[in-house]
Amino acid sequence: MIIMGFSTLQTFPLIEGLTGPQTLDVLHKRITALGARVSGQFVVDCETYFSAPSLLPGNSQRVLNVLHNTEEPASVFAILEGGAKQPVLVADTLLDALLPKMAVLYTSNKKQTRIESKGNRYEMGDFVVKLGSVTMSGSFKGILVEVCYLACVVPALCWEMVWEFMQSFLGSTVPSTLPPYIQSRQNATFSPTDTIQMYLEKFNEFRKQTVAR
Amino acid sequence: MCAAISAQEKLQAAMQHKIVPNQEYLLQGSVLDSSKDVLIHRLRGLADNVDEQVETFQDRERVLTLGPVSGQTLTLYVRQAMDVRPGMDQSDTPWTMRYIGQPELGDKSRPTVLRNSIDVGCTPNVLEFLSEMGFKQDYEFMCKGLMFRKGRMKILVYKVYKNKTADNWEPLSMSHVVELSVLAPQGHDAVAEDVRNFAEQLKPLVQLEKTDYRRL
Repeated sequence: MIIMGFSTLQTFPLIEGLTGPQTLDVLHKRITALGARVSGQFVVDCETYFSAPSLLPGNSQRVLNVLHNTEEPASVFAILEGGAKQPVLVADTLLDALLPKMAVLYTSNKKQTRIESKGNRYEMGDFVVKLGSVTMSGSFKGILVEVCYLACVVPALCWEMVWEFMQSFLGSTVPSTLPPYIQSRQNATFSPTDTIQMYLEKFNEFRKQTVAR
Repeated sequence: MCAAISAQEKLQAAMQHKIVPNQEYLLQGSVLDSSKDVLIHRLRGLADNVDEQVETFQDRERVLTLGPVSGQTLTLYVRQAMDVRPGMDQSDTPWTMRYIGQPELGDKSRPTVLRNSIDVGCTPNVLEFLSEMGFKQDYEFMCKGLMFRKGRMKILVYKVYKNKTADNWEPLSMSHVVELSVLAPQGHDAVAEDVRNFAEQLKPLVQLEKTDYRRL
């Protein structure tokens, strides 16, 4: 299914005294009480590769992030960090077969760097909600909530309504401003690469923190 | 409700079940410009798409290299379609990047060259992306010619152009390249026989052979 629309992403702190799965269960109950129904599972994953030390002049390093989203099953998103620009390449899934060919040039420690957000996907009218449990190398890191509004592609035009909808089941945890990546693009047409950029932004935050919140 | 499987797991499964077409069976040859039309005529008779207009193509290919790091380099072939079809914008034309592995010639009993080939369609910013990754352009060329199909086989007859200055392309030689290839999953060696049989039918107009790149 092609999803057009505008998505926003936020972390949801664990409810005091509850574990990750228990907190997700509370959210599940809240959102199904509102009338949403589960429409399958989703996963967004990210694998990170680092350039070999002597590859680039001046020993500068590039970080190659390769992301997949079940919402765009035929595409692979590659985001390069570390340079002046942060280009995004969208390619066919065969890109995954190409990456092992550069194993010496861009190396990856799969066990330590792989991070993913996985969970239920809900539909409710024009909204799609994804409650993701974030795990890094197998250990639980936190909860990410993605809310997508299908009927609008310009963030600035629908953010306030989306914000209100989110508050109905996420309460006061919803930030009153757009995610940092979208702030400078709020009047532009939203695209699936913007969703991926937000996931990378959040994944990088999770990587920096050591214990689950 | 189906469980979400990660894309990498799916690809690994596809690789294990040998359904990813990443092996190219290839024969190459060349014809002088003056005899090209006779070959085209013959191909029109043999190929599948005879009643339609023969498909033309014009691709600009850039060859980029990354490395070396501890003796290892990676070469990618980035191809951009230059022939804009009606109703299409130049910025809409597809880009692909391609990895080609070491060609295996095998012994005389092996009918074709076998090489690993991974073709990845991508967004037009691929050159900028690869150069940020550290890739450097080696050389570039333009291919212009015709494409025929015969079952799973692809037959290309094209001329190679090099550029002297920015947009001034001139022919590299007085002949056309002829390429006969099939892209198949691992272990489909039977298609190599089809390639050889088809090449036999094109004799003596063109002699298609296993090119030994080490001797070039």
